[in-house]
Amino acid sequence: MGRDLLISDLHLSQERPSTTARFLEFLQGEAALARALYVLGDLFDYWIGDDELTAPGADSLAREVAEALRTLAHGGTAVYVMQGNRDFLLGSGFLAACGALPLADPTVAEIGSAKTLLMHGDTLCTDDLDYLAWRRTARSASWQSEFLAAPIAERRDRSRALRSESEARKRTKSAAIMDVSPDAVREAFRRHEVTRLIHGHTHRPGHHELEVDGRPCERWVLPDWYQSGGYLSAEDGALRLVEFSPAVP
Amino acid sequence: MNLLKLWKSFVILSAAAASPAAAANPQVEVKTNVGTIRLELYPSKAPKTVANFLQYVREGHYDGTIFHRVIDGFMIQGGGFDRSYTQKPTRAPIPNEAQAGVEAGLKNEAGTIAMARTANPNSATAQFFINLADNAFLNWGDPRGDGNGYAVFGKVVSGLDVVTKIAKTPTGRGGPFASDVPREAIVIESTTLVDAK
Repeated sequence: MGRDLLISDLHLSQERPSTTARFLEFLQGEAALARALYVLGDLFDYWIGDDELTAPGADSLAREVAEALRTLAHGGTAVYVMQGNRDFLLGSGFLAACGALPLADPTVAEIGSAKTLLMHGDTLCTDDLDYLAWRRTARSASWQSEFLAAPIAERRDRSRALRSESEARKRTKSAAIMDVSPDAVREAFRRHEVTRLIHGHTHRPGHHELEVDGRPCERWVLPDWYQSGGYLSAEDGALRLVEFSPAVP
Repeated sequence: MNLLKLWKSFVILSAAAASPAAAANPQVEVKTNVGTIRLELYPSKAPKTVANFLQYVREGHYDGTIFHRVIDGFMIQGGGFDRSYTQKPTRAPIPNEAQAGVEAGLKNEAGTIAMARTANPNSATAQFFINLADNAFLNWGDPRGDGNGYAVFGKVVSGLDVVTKIAKTPTGRGGPFASDVPREAIVIESTTLVDAK
């Protein structure tokens, strides 16, 4: 048996070098000792296409992260990567550069000796109609092929504009709208016939126990890495949320 | 000389040795881009914490670090990140001396300096904070805190106006932090061990 680690919502970007440093440290430390590392979405704060790895003038962050993940994978830790709502354009080019395997959203996998549903979590926020409409557009083949066909500089600009639009919209939304909908959670347990769900996205790390159709179920929410970060560790049936805490009084 | 006399002279000598030692507590000048703060440290009450802080001072660790967490009415925290919010490498964490400190009278009172740490009580490295109020809940043994407390190891002896200026600086989101980061960076330009005035 080995230990599986699950992370999400790192939102790596050039603007947050300390998060990148912490992540690279994590890959060389805890992750290197694990059997598998599952990234459940939003590894990057945004992703405008896999040519981010090779384009002239592309930022070095993507290459640095791909290289570190590749070292991890070569060292014997299986790496699985799911797209999130921010890096939904992460493609096979990036995964190949990392030596990682794609993880569909949702996926049912054996985690900690139990069938477990893995999701990024954005599709559980069904009260956020505005976001779901945008998601449908952004995940459509037509939008993606049109976007990816644009020159990289234009994609950078468009991505920046989309992010600031999304930040502005978020400010007007209530916290409840941006959390998961209890109905959507129950529906996910039913549809996938699981009793355990692990997701990120909401930035509200925790462990929730609930009953669905008389069956005891559990939902684990992964921490984001904006401030300190952390992971979920699954080993021999025991799940544990480990949050790196920042130094504070 | 009889034993009593010998004992008396020993007592006098010890007392004489104790008071100059207290007067000669090390002082450190923290020069920031908004003014200078002078700290007096208490090696007899928090020996490992003071030695650790002075080692960072000698190494120049704090030069170029910022006060990244400023909460008026509570505390100002710094010494860990540079202006680009990169956490500077540190030495290994030190044991928490908060209990011995409280027993020796060192408490998180306005103007005192203490070590920041993670949820692990023995995790302080370089980051410190200056209390802006009597934060008793940060003391070892206080039931409102985690019980382990935050180790106080010195106090501001001059430049409290600079501390206040930092406390009043407008704050917001910055780097990886969602809030409490000064909008205009407050940078420690240098820290110097100085002779007590």
